Amino acid sequence: MTPEMLSLSNSPGLFVGLMLLKLIVVFSVVMLMVAYATWCERKIIGHMQTRLGPMRTGWHGLLQPIADGIKLFFKEDIIPSQASVVPFLLAPMMILVPAIITVAVIPFGPDVTVSGLIVPLQITDLNVGVLYILAFAGLGVYGIVLAGWSSNSKYSLLGGVRASAQMISYELAAGLTIVSVFMLSETLSLREIVALQSEPLWGTFSFLPNWYVFTQPLAFFLFVITGLAEINRTPFDMPEAESELVSGFCTEYSSMKYALFFLAEYANMIVVSAIAATLFLGGWYGPLPSSLGVINLLGKIVAFMFFFIWLRATLPRVRYDQLMRMGWKVLLPLALANVVVTGFVVVLLQ
Amino acid sequence: MSSTTGSLPTTAPILFEDYLALGIYVGIALFLVAILLLLSWGLGHRTRSRIKNEPYESGVYPTDNARLKGPVPFYLVAIFFILFDIEVIFVASWAVAYDRLGWAGFGQVSFFTLVLLVGLLHLWKTGALDWGPSAARQNRKNQDIP
Amino acid sequence: MASIMFYLLSLILLTATLLCIFQRNPVHAVLYLVLGFFSLAIMFYLLGAPLVAAWEVIVYAGAIMVLFLFIIMMLGLAPQDRPEGPGWQRWLPFVILMAAVLACTLVIIALDPAATAQGEPYSLGPQDFGEALFGKYALAVQVVSFQLLFAAVGAYNLGRIQRGKGKP
Repeated sequence: MTPEMLSLSNSPGLFVGLMLLKLIVVFSVVMLMVAYATWCERKIIGHMQTRLGPMRTGWHGLLQPIADGIKLFFKEDIIPSQASVVPFLLAPMMILVPAIITVAVIPFGPDVTVSGLIVPLQITDLNVGVLYILAFAGLGVYGIVLAGWSSNSKYSLLGGVRASAQMISYELAAGLTIVSVFMLSETLSLREIVALQSEPLWGTFSFLPNWYVFTQPLAFFLFVITGLAEINRTPFDMPEAESELVSGFCTEYSSMKYALFFLAEYANMIVVSAIAATLFLGGWYGPLPSSLGVINLLGKIVAFMFFFIWLRATLPRVRYDQLMRMGWKVLLPLALANVVVTGFVVVLLQ
Repeated sequence: MSSTTGSLPTTAPILFEDYLALGIYVGIALFLVAILLLLSWGLGHRTRSRIKNEPYESGVYPTDNARLKGPVPFYLVAIFFILFDIEVIFVASWAVAYDRLGWAGFGQVSFFTLVLLVGLLHLWKTGALDWGPSAARQNRKNQDIP
Repeated sequence: MASIMFYLLSLILLTATLLCIFQRNPVHAVLYLVLGFFSLAIMFYLLGAPLVAAWEVIVYAGAIMVLFLFIIMMLGLAPQDRPEGPGWQRWLPFVILMAAVLACTLVIIALDPAATAQGEPYSLGPQDFGEALFGKYALAVQVVSFQLLFAAVGAYNLGRIQRGKGKP
């Protein structure tokens, strides 16, 4: 007999227990990665600039994120006198929470069997998982707009407006690259997208897995660039351009509220890396055997994060008009062309 | 084209489990973020003074209102974004069902995309997508032509 | 379970929409509207139309509301002062109109046998949606494409006149 899926009806206790376990593990791993991404960024950029980075707290500064967290907890919580209080408090939440909950649809390993029942290693397998990602990607902009507006400061407003214009310009191309992926997969569920990528590639390339990076290289390239712009990382960090806008939309923030913006930046990096790995690089599948699926996925995420940090150490910031020109005149037409060509090929081949 | 009335729904009915897990996860995320904010509100020391609570303007007294009046290019970007976002969702709606629609559907979506590409090219040519120095140049050129 | 969720979400939706109308601070009003769109999207999802739910969030909450926020932010609209005049009488036209709409709806539901009939739970998958859109309603889709084209050109021309008047 084929084992059935674990559900609330056939084994409620086990289902709830495993669900809570998955939730807590995913949540803690994401938060831990966010905390240590800050340490990694400081260490890596430090070494790239022939400095050492943090060294004092713990072995090679390993306790630095904890020290930073404690310090930020005890900092003064300032709300500017002319700020609109409710949006001012909501903004940091509205930027971090969408980032954290996007992770819920990422599959982090192959199905496992527990006492004869199949358990998918994923918090929830929505049948429209890809669209869920698209929808939540568009919501991060609220936090930034609100932060910029509610602080009632000129730097914040400029940063907020720049950020939102940048994010919405690049979101179009990002959406279209994702469309070209689910045209190949013919499913919107991320679990099935990963499963499809574990099949061998056609013809002479059958030694390679069917990762969509091989069939959609342009889409992968565009997705990584638009992803960088969506999360406001260098070279697209116009919104918080330190040298011109003090700190952009979070100029007026202090204490833990500032820390939440900071955490959100790294959480967004993790999310973009995880989505890129899942959609284009086979998610938990390969290069290591599937029993080590979690390590595969984490390895890919860490590789992307290293790449993003490396870019920050290497590239200067682009100018605003260059940024908008690239978004509208290069990436959007390329992404459209990619979708139409993909559509032509898949309709031809079906 | 065939109508949908006869076809069976292809997706499984929505399961309670799907959104239970998601709901709890969202709950945990919101709860933790709220706890972080509350903790820092309680732990951090607080002083009140008029000067401290003023918006930061590099040490100068803030002047005037912190609202930009009429930076039209930003509105235009937002409007173009809405228009092309609608294009993206139409293309995506086609992409999920291209196998059932075949060449007719491909023709439809190509024409749809072409019409909007014409729009994009028009905006490109008239300088709606230009910013900074190139936009100023384009503006002067447009004003020369009465 | 789904029906409990449905009524809960309806309650959130109605409250959020009412708060959106009665808020004097425009940014708060927009935030309530976003909350309303969210609960509407989850309702669509529960009713078996996941694609519509996703489009609801992407287009309404993700794009149109951002434009609203942009405009409100940059025009610097202050919270409106309470207008002069007697209190409850201002609401009279609103109450009468709402009562009329509600009465009409109830009459229609009472007269129409199909409205109260219990239908089979139906799930409209993404593929069915796409097929209907580009099959049955293909002409409408092409009309939409031209509308979007005219909107893009029109918006730019309106915006450009404004820019010419400003500083060089």
